[in-house]
Amino acid sequence: MTPQLPAYGKSQPRFRLPSAFAWLQRRTTRRTIISVVVVMAAWEITGRFIVTNSLFFAPLSSVIGAAFTLWHSGELQKDIIASFSAVVYGMALAIVIGIVIGVLSGASRGFREYTDAFVTGLYATPLVAVAPILILWFGIGIASKIAVVFLMAVFPILISTAAGIRNTDASYIEVARSFGASRLQIIRKVMIPAAVPFVITGIRLAIGRAIVGVVVGELFGARAGLGFLIFTSGQTFDVPSLFLGVLILALAGVALTSGMKWIENRVAGGRRVEMDN
Amino acid sequence: MSEPRSDTTAELSVEHVGKNFDTRGTTIRVLDDVSFSVKRGEFFVIVGPSGCGKSTLLRIIQGLETLNDGVITLAGRPLLGPSADRGFVFQQDSLYPWRTVLQNVLFGLEIMGKANSETTGRAMSLIELVGLKGFEHHYPRELSGGMRQRVNLARALAIDPQMLLMDEPFAALDALTRETMQQELLRIAAAANKTVVFITHQIDEAVLLADRVLVLSARPGRVVETIPIDLPRPRSLATKRSQEFQGLVDRIWNLVSAKPQVETV
Repeated sequence: MTPQLPAYGKSQPRFRLPSAFAWLQRRTTRRTIISVVVVMAAWEITGRFIVTNSLFFAPLSSVIGAAFTLWHSGELQKDIIASFSAVVYGMALAIVIGIVIGVLSGASRGFREYTDAFVTGLYATPLVAVAPILILWFGIGIASKIAVVFLMAVFPILISTAAGIRNTDASYIEVARSFGASRLQIIRKVMIPAAVPFVITGIRLAIGRAIVGVVVGELFGARAGLGFLIFTSGQTFDVPSLFLGVLILALAGVALTSGMKWIENRVAGGRRVEMDN
Repeated sequence: MSEPRSDTTAELSVEHVGKNFDTRGTTIRVLDDVSFSVKRGEFFVIVGPSGCGKSTLLRIIQGLETLNDGVITLAGRPLLGPSADRGFVFQQDSLYPWRTVLQNVLFGLEIMGKANSETTGRAMSLIELVGLKGFEHHYPRELSGGMRQRVNLARALAIDPQMLLMDEPFAALDALTRETMQQELLRIAAAANKTVVFITHQIDEAVLLADRVLVLSARPGRVVETIPIDLPRPRSLATKRSQEFQGLVDRIWNLVSAKPQVETV
């Protein structure tokens, strides 16, 4: 009999939880939860006993109170939906156009050489600076927010896709050539599937920028949205509502990014990527 | 150039082929006046020191590279480019990680627009032929090196080519897997009744597999000699211990290393 050695790097649970809570047993998860609880407590204590001036700070409990009030008046839902739809439409547009241009620029040297200067230049430009002009062009409704989100999100997707196409393993292309594949077949059946992990990484990077985009767009002029909520709360010294807007944006960013990370890991494993057919 | 060749049994005929590579302004002659022909159903092995241009020669036959001099004909017709009559097995298995075993095997048929329920059935039986029944829906990362090379072989066979071109397919495998794969290849090539042109720098592998062995010289690659291997088939590991086998290995070894500026392989 070989003695059972404890697995290296894994903590040994001192007690067993029911299987539905097994995830709590993982050390990483436990540490994340502990850190969140500690910060929440510190926030509450700071707001209640240290910075008591409600013009500068609000404890977590009043932020949650503001959430209930705004939810009951229906305003919170309206703001979340407004921001969320701008992000969804803008991202969708950025994904489609980013992938199309990325594939063209990765696969065609000519296309890349004609467009590269603009892509690099625009990617480096702080595009939030063009938000005011987009609002002049598209109005204070959702169209201008979609435009800002799109402009912010399209470049990481485009650049990452092009890099993925260009980095396609040469031996993958050789195999296709040995079967007499045309250029279009090589792009469609080899380069695009090979670039999928790059595309997903690009989308993950784009999400953070998209959220910045929608908030900045709403700050410059809007009728609804989380940016609008933050802006109006600031104007009326309603600090709990202001914090609520920021908190929701942070949570949305974490949720979307970790969702993409999860997809990324699955795709990088090469297990369940069905491209065509 | 397109007149029928006198030797009608020749599946592949290579005549006076020469190839240059241009690198940094200088021209390097990699193949010079290479001529040979391969008969239908024959297992033809090309050996030579590293850098003698044997892989380039195989890539030219597949249509992946152009030639500078000479003519290549396939069953009497001039070579035009990759087509369904030749299947290429690469040294690196180069399986697509986003495709299952079956989808990888079907890849060539998809490219040629011939993927249908009938060819899928044939792909399934090829997977069985290479000994991977039950692994059809596994991904390459779930397979060992030897298994991946079996899929590679099945992928080349799936388009049902007359001829298999194999570029050191077992070079990346460990010694034990390599021996198994050599036996498997002999079995599969006989079962599928294919003409095989096989490249290796391992002389015992060449003698074990071949009907004839062509020895190429160091760069520029020229034909040194073609040696018929008349060892009885089926050949097994016991064949490797026979005196005739050792005699042939020694003879080819001397031919490969006879040239003055040879690299030790």
